[in-house]
Order: sequence, then structure tokens, then C-alpha cells
Amino acid sequence: MLTSHPTLLIGPSDWDADVMPKEEFVRRIDALWRAFPDAPCAIVYGNPAHHAELAYLTNLVPKLEAVIALLTRSGQHEIHLGGGPNMLGAAKPLTFIEDLKPLRGGQAIGRRALEAKAGMPGALLIIGDGYMPTALHQAIDEAIGEQALNATAQVWALMRRSSLHEVDAMRESCFALNGAMTAIADAKRSGLGVTEAILAGEQEANRRGAQDVRTLFSLDGGRTLQPFSTPLDARIDPLQVYVAARRFNYWSEGFLLISERRPPVAAKAKEALRQALATIKPGTRTADIVELISAATKPYRPHPVTERAFMSRLGLALEEPPHTNPGATFESGEIYSVKVGITNGTDEHAIVSAMVRIRENGTDMLWTA
Amino acid sequence: MNDQERLADIRRRMLDEKLELLVGLHDGAHFIEKPNPVMVLSGFKSLGAAAALLEPDGAMTLVVTPHWDAERAAQRCPDARVVGVDDLVEGVLGEIGQRAAAGTALATAGMRFLPYDIASHLTVALPGARSADKLMFDAARTKTADEIANAREATRIAERGYEHLIEIARPDMSEDELAVELKWFMKTLGAEDNFLLLCAGPHNRAVQPSNGRKLQVGDIILAEITPSYQGQLAQICRTVVIGKPPEELKRKYELVVRAMDEGIKAAVPGVVMANVCRAINTVLEAEGYGEYCYPPHIRRRGHGLGFGSIRPGDVALDNTTMLEPDMVFMIHPNQYLPETGYLLCGEPVLLTERGAEPLTQQKAALATIAR
Repeated sequence: MLTSHPTLLIGPSDWDADVMPKEEFVRRIDALWRAFPDAPCAIVYGNPAHHAELAYLTNLVPKLEAVIALLTRSGQHEIHLGGGPNMLGAAKPLTFIEDLKPLRGGQAIGRRALEAKAGMPGALLIIGDGYMPTALHQAIDEAIGEQALNATAQVWALMRRSSLHEVDAMRESCFALNGAMTAIADAKRSGLGVTEAILAGEQEANRRGAQDVRTLFSLDGGRTLQPFSTPLDARIDPLQVYVAARRFNYWSEGFLLISERRPPVAAKAKEALRQALATIKPGTRTADIVELISAATKPYRPHPVTERAFMSRLGLALEEPPHTNPGATFESGEIYSVKVGITNGTDEHAIVSAMVRIRENGTDMLWTA
Repeated sequence: MNDQERLADIRRRMLDEKLELLVGLHDGAHFIEKPNPVMVLSGFKSLGAAAALLEPDGAMTLVVTPHWDAERAAQRCPDARVVGVDDLVEGVLGEIGQRAAAGTALATAGMRFLPYDIASHLTVALPGARSADKLMFDAARTKTADEIANAREATRIAERGYEHLIEIARPDMSEDELAVELKWFMKTLGAEDNFLLLCAGPHNRAVQPSNGRKLQVGDIILAEITPSYQGQLAQICRTVVIGKPPEELKRKYELVVRAMDEGIKAAVPGVVMANVCRAINTVLEAEGYGEYCYPPHIRRRGHGLGFGSIRPGDVALDNTTMLEPDMVFMIHPNQYLPETGYLLCGEPVLLTERGAEPLTQQKAALATIAR
């Protein structure tokens, strides 16, 4: 889900070969070449806000400036980093690719891509270009003098099924998420104010190794959500929270309604979530799950926060529509955030969710409210 | 100046340029070097891409993503009409597409900072739109009273963050661990965001984002601590040694502090920003470091502080902006010296009639962590 994006990514993002071996990236890049048998080279763009494709192919999450990876069929991959030559040192631990250079602009990238193409007939690939600044995009277009083939959607198709390494990373991410949620609930129960509780959750996620943690909370019983803007002492019950945690580049997210009472609306939402999770298996139509949730939550109506996203695919991106949108059916190997948000429009609101991995006969629960 | 007076100034400029509509655009990725026209016009820090549409009579429409964030926007901007959408291009064109097609004189601010997938669609759909970047940011070259107050609070938080750094930094702690803890600590004080560059080493080439490197005795920690309070950034640049600092390092740090002091002295109303940079360079050049006063060693000696407007821009030799009271910006020599490596030293300042007033309580001094 969309949250406030930080101005600088602060947190542990170094490449860990034990978690995500180089072979995993080689396999992914090979799959890209198989999808585009004639492509000689791929230009992959990422910036601190949008970089799922770049992270998928290189492990690199840009913390400060934009990055372009030049992937070549020969395996002589290059990383071009914004911010000048002095930024190379800090970025080196973030990726398995060893050839790091300063990003000298779109013309230079285009020329380098043409060199890598070396007269091969296939079109150059471009990935993640929608997030490029226009001037950079135009400079690359001018330099290569031809229309690059946009392969972003194909990379996302490759990203749909999680490998075992990715599932392990997601479990670690959910471990951080769970720590945050538990800490928030504990802090609330101990009488702390709303932002103290939220910050207790963020701190626990940090302790569990999260490289990023983002939160939203409600001051009006779950009707609306807001990001942290200033410390607030108010004790809120029920307290509706949203937490997204990131570990080893993989995101998990969750909604939780914390209350000393047992609001009927929360029970209704949880029961609908339980029914949805019990129904999901490979081949289940996502539209059927939306219908099931709607039926199970009547007379409540969908909460505005989740009404257009009862479920989303999660992994290297938290919010990258259309790619994080659900497909027509659930498929084995996919990881989903399933959300049930309901409201009566006045004073009863609840959003609860779960993180699940779709497997052969059903789902593995990674986290649930 | 307050927000209303700034808006009135923008509207006057619209009339001067015969504009019937001003469209401020931002993609929601808040970056220290990217100005935010939506914040300048509305004060609203959006979660996603957003636009603020201003009419010459002062009527404003705020288009925000995601759609469910509209109520927060309406609370923050009670005088604006707020439209919540999930696609900014569709939302903006839904509001103004017909008027644009009918030839309304409109201009956009922030277009060149937008990502390609938004900018390319809007450029095609608004073919007659002029750029209003200059109009908008000329009007926001100085800070409002609220922004100045927020910059003071952000500076206070930065200084508390720095004290915390000195308390907790220790060998075997990773740069990432230290940066994460500092960010969290400053958030407890009210910093909703933080551009915290932090790195360490015995001889740094530059200040960089933190990574997993473990701190060691003899390291020089560089910290650009930049919390945002209510959407207004302030920064302090500090250098800390783990262990006993060599005499030469102490001397060189005094040199960069002296250079900063000369820069602060040179920053007075009525001079161009380039003079501030020149004053800093003069001190360093006199000590034989002329070649280190230019890229790749140094690009600028300070900068404006967003997230709204980043005017008056960089403290650089090519910045001819005339300094005026109520401008807020950083002055930081942040110099690479061959004997010591990169050293951070910088203060946020408020231009007053009398000159540059540092917003900090404690000026930069080389700090040590005895371990």
C-alpha cells in the first residue's frame, strides 16, 4: 500500500550471498534473455522510490540517487550510479555486480548500450523507464536512435512466482512485521499514546533487522489513516494501524485493529478474512474472493482504504500498480497481502489482513492479524 | 510573510503573466533536492502523486493520490476543494482537460521533476502549457514565518540527534545500525522524515549513505543530520572521531570551521550567493587547497532546504541569486583534504537584515568518542 516515502532510504540493504546467492540473480537474468532471445542488452532503471525491477535483477536498492544497470548477454554487467564517483564505495556492498561507474547521463548510457549491442540485430531492452526523469529518458532515446523494447511487464511476470530464497526473505520480513505489530499492541495496552505505540513498533521492526518500516494509523477509530507527522499523546481505542516492513529487500504489510473491547466490526472483518484465506488456492479467481468478502461482511460496506485493493501481490515492491495488482487467479508460488476493510460509514470501521503464500493445495500463512 | 501572503504574491505574478490557471505537480517522492510545488501552494505533503490547481481569484483544487487520502488533505487545506483519485493524470485532466483544450492560459510547475510516465502524458494532454517554475519558486524564495519556525524546530531536533550519536556510537556498531537508531530517535522528537547521510572510515572520500560497515577505533564519522519537521528540513553537518584525534585532524577541522565562519559572515542581504561560496573558497585556497575547491572534491558549499521550495539554491560560484532576509539555507564547507579525508562542517542559517543567523545552538566542532 502507498505510504509516505522517505527522502533517503536508511537501513541495512547490503547484498547477503547467503540469503540471495548470485546464482539466483544469474537465473533471473537468464530468464530475461530467454523471454527476449534476440535482445543483446537491457537498460534497467531504478531510483529510491521505484526500483523493484532493478532489485530483482541486481539486488541493488538505490538509497540516495538513481541507478541504471546495464545488463549484457555476455554477462559483463555494469552499474551506473548517480551522485558522482564518490558514491561508488557506499553502493558496492549493495550488489553482486562488481563493475560500478558514475552515471554520466542518458547520452552516455545510450552510447554504452550501443557498444554492448555490438551490432547484434535484436532491440535493446528498457526496464523501469516509466520512473525515469523525462530528460534522462529522452537522452537515452536520442543516443540509441531506435525504440528500445519495454520489457518491464515481462520482468514483473518473472517476479510473480517466488523462489525458495525469496520465500525465506519474505518470512524474515514477516518476522519484522510481526514484531512491530506485537510491540504496538503491547505499547497500547500499557497505556502509551498513539505515536509512542507506533514508534515502539517501528523500533522493534528495526531490532529485527528491517531495512525500512512504514506506518499509518488512525485517530478516528479506523475511519481514516494518516502517516506520522508529529508526536501525539492521545490514547486511541480502537487503534487501527498499518505497518509495512522490509527485510532483505522484500516487503511485508499488515493491518491490525487493536482494542480493549471486541468491536463487532472487527470480528466480522476477521471472520471474512478467515473465510477468504480458507478458500484461496491455486486457480481460485481473485474476483470470487472479492465477492466472498463482500458477502461475508454485509451489512458493512468496503472501507475506502481497501475498497479498490482487497489483495495485492507483494515482494520487492509495496505499491507499483499495475504490477502489484492481483491477477485474474491465484497461482502457486505467488505471495499476496489479503485485506478486509469494512465500515458502516459512521462509527464502526476495521481493516485486518494477512500475508499468504499460495502453494499447491492452499496457502502458507506468513502473517495474519 | 505568511502562507496567504505568499499565495497572494503568486496570484499577482499569475496576473502579470496573464495566466488563468497554475498547476503545481509533484510525484510524492519527497527528495531533498526536488522542490515540491504542491507543498508551496497548499502546504500538503502528499503520500502519492498530487497536483494543486490555483485560479487567479485564489480558488484552489487539490488532486491527491491515493483516493483515500483526500480527507487528510481536506483537513490540512480547509480552503481548498479536494479530489481524491488513484491516477494523477486522469485526475488532473478530469479537472482541467476541457479548459486546456479550450485554450485556457495555463502553466505548470514541477513538470520537469516528474517521472516520465506522468510527465509524458501530461505534456501531450496540455500542449499549450507554459512552465511556471520560475514564477512559483521566485515567490517562494524566502520562507514563511511558519516555515522558519519549523526550520528552528528541525534544527533543535538535529542537534539532539547529534548528541545521541555521540552517546551511542561505538566500535563494532554498523553504520546502518547507527543511522537507523538516530532516525528513529529523531522521529520520537517529531521528525517525520530525515535525510541522514552517515558514513565512517579512517579517510573518507565523501559523505555517503550508510551501509553495513562496522565502526572502528580511528574512524572519522561523517553525519549530515537532516530532520524534517512539519515538512521543513534543516541540516547540521558534523564530524566525530572514534578514539584520540590526531593533531593534524584537529588543525584541519579548525580550518574548515574558519572557512564556514567566513561564509556565514559573507552571507548578508544584498549580495549574491556566489559571494558566500567565494568567501569559503578563499580561506581554503589561502592554505593551498585550491584544487580541492572544485569537482570532483566539492560541488557546492551549501544549499536551500525544502521540501517545498529549495530556493535560494546552492551555495555555488554560479549562483547569482541575491540574498534577502527570511531566506533559509545551509552553509557547509564539507571539504575533502588530502591529509584527513572528507570533513563535514555546516550550519543552517536564516538571513536577517543583520546577516546570517545560524539556527544551531552549538556550532560545529570536531567531536571525539573516547573508546
